[in-house]
Amino acid sequence: MIKKEEKKIYKAKIVKNEQVSKSSFFVEIECDKPVEVKAGQFISIYCEGLTLRRPFSVFSNNNGKIGILVKERGKGTKFIKSLKKDETIDIIGPLGNHFNIENKKSLLVGAGIGVAPISYLKTKLDEKNIENLFLTGFLNKEEIPQNTKSDFICTDDGSFGEKGSVLNYIGVIINEYKPKIIYACGPYIVLKLIAELGERYGIETQVAMEKVMACGIGVCRGCVIDIKKDGKVINATVCKDGPVFKGSEVVWQ
Amino acid sequence: MAITENYLKTTLNNLVLKNPILTASGTFGYANEFDEFINLSKLGAIITKAISLYPRAGNKNIRITETKAGMINSIGLENIGIKRFIDEKVPILKAKNIDYIMNIAGSTIDEYIELGKICQENSIKAIEVNVSCPNVKQGCLEFGVDENSLYELIKAIREEYKGYLIVKLTPNVTRIENLGLAVQKAGADAISAINTLKGMSIKINNQQGKVTKTIIQGGYSGIGIKPVAISCVYRLSQVIDIPIIGIGGIETIDDVLEFFAAGAEAVEIGTANFTHPEISEKLVNELEEYIIKNGYKDLDELKEELRK
Repeated sequence: MIKKEEKKIYKAKIVKNEQVSKSSFFVEIECDKPVEVKAGQFISIYCEGLTLRRPFSVFSNNNGKIGILVKERGKGTKFIKSLKKDETIDIIGPLGNHFNIENKKSLLVGAGIGVAPISYLKTKLDEKNIENLFLTGFLNKEEIPQNTKSDFICTDDGSFGEKGSVLNYIGVIINEYKPKIIYACGPYIVLKLIAELGERYGIETQVAMEKVMACGIGVCRGCVIDIKKDGKVINATVCKDGPVFKGSEVVWQ
Repeated sequence: MAITENYLKTTLNNLVLKNPILTASGTFGYANEFDEFINLSKLGAIITKAISLYPRAGNKNIRITETKAGMINSIGLENIGIKRFIDEKVPILKAKNIDYIMNIAGSTIDEYIELGKICQENSIKAIEVNVSCPNVKQGCLEFGVDENSLYELIKAIREEYKGYLIVKLTPNVTRIENLGLAVQKAGADAISAINTLKGMSIKINNQQGKVTKTIIQGGYSGIGIKPVAISCVYRLSQVIDIPIIGIGGIETIDDVLEFFAAGAEAVEIGTANFTHPEISEKLVNELEEYIIKNGYKDLDELKEELRK
């Protein structure tokens, strides 16, 4: 017989599903068995009636209760938003690689819904007593998820914290804080800038990327990006080789 | 286990499978990638990702998008090439006791012939010839839509390769029956149908009057193509004698039965592997239960009943 407990498919029960900002909500699920998740890894959720599962970075993991932050975008996230407490969903995970935590003064950058994996990473760094500074950026005050544990918040319209995008502050913060490593998740343009700054100042960067996925396990090759390896440009899947890449290895467009 | 094999044993002339549930090329990796989800040795066979003579990097830009009833892909046959497949993946397949069929794709007739030769030299038991991928500039579909070139191509591969030869047909033609007849005449052992339909999606994003578009052209697959696939299998079954393996939008046991009724001897599960990675093994179990529950002697008797 097949030992199902070794397999990566879980039936999970919704523990919490609540709005935490204007367009995002926090979903906590309890799996039928304990799941260990490293910062940067994701789960993929089957959304009824849809062909492709939807991937979400893990935001928290408290005694096997996995939390994700979901930004309402289309049919998949609408389905997840509609889930009620105690309903059962089908998840696969944890998937993908993870942030490679180093014992170095760390700058964390989470832009928009990209705060999810970075928040989880922060709890891991704090557990290990690694010095860190968490920079976050949002469109406006209403888009800031409740309980965001950030040290520096900026909003595009200045309705909360500093005015402007994280793009405006990263350089200054690097100069003042002098991190030895930067971890980031957010829009492509933010990750690209962080990778460039990292290279300019000789600071290692690790960025969590995003792409539409079909399988989530590296077989369909639908989510590839170009990376540099051994002097050559090769395909890497965001789902399996990533989602976390060194900023210096990504071929930025 | 012995009982399972008795109920579901599937004989496609000289290829004997433990059951008729296969996984479609491009949706299941090369070997043991789905290990994390199912017991691979329980499947009839896995069909590998398309293998070309040399490694291919595949297409740039957007490769997948979801549609209302499936998805469109434009991967472009990214793969590790036959050398690495034989050196790295075949040993895994053997060690794990996974029955497999190797899917091959070439850009020229010579490449297909060379692939056939290498498969013969390496005693690859069964191959599926991909002449129906819509996502590459050269080869594949350009052979697959014309019955004369298809006949010449399959005949040439047949001369080099003596194992079990399946040809995967495209639905992007007016009369798939003609392709089936050509392939049968060229000496193929079986036909699999269908590959993806040519599809296109234009996603429009309008932000205060400024339109940006996300365009993808490629192969349309998933539940939406099932009626097309059923029709193709049925029409093929009316004119050809070699076994047909049905593919297209299979998600449930009822879908599998529908393909049997249309004339398929076995089926391939494709896009559904992405949605439910455990689906193929689940269908093996459900098919066995169906046969037992309804009092059939075996799969052959069920198929007979379905085709009356």
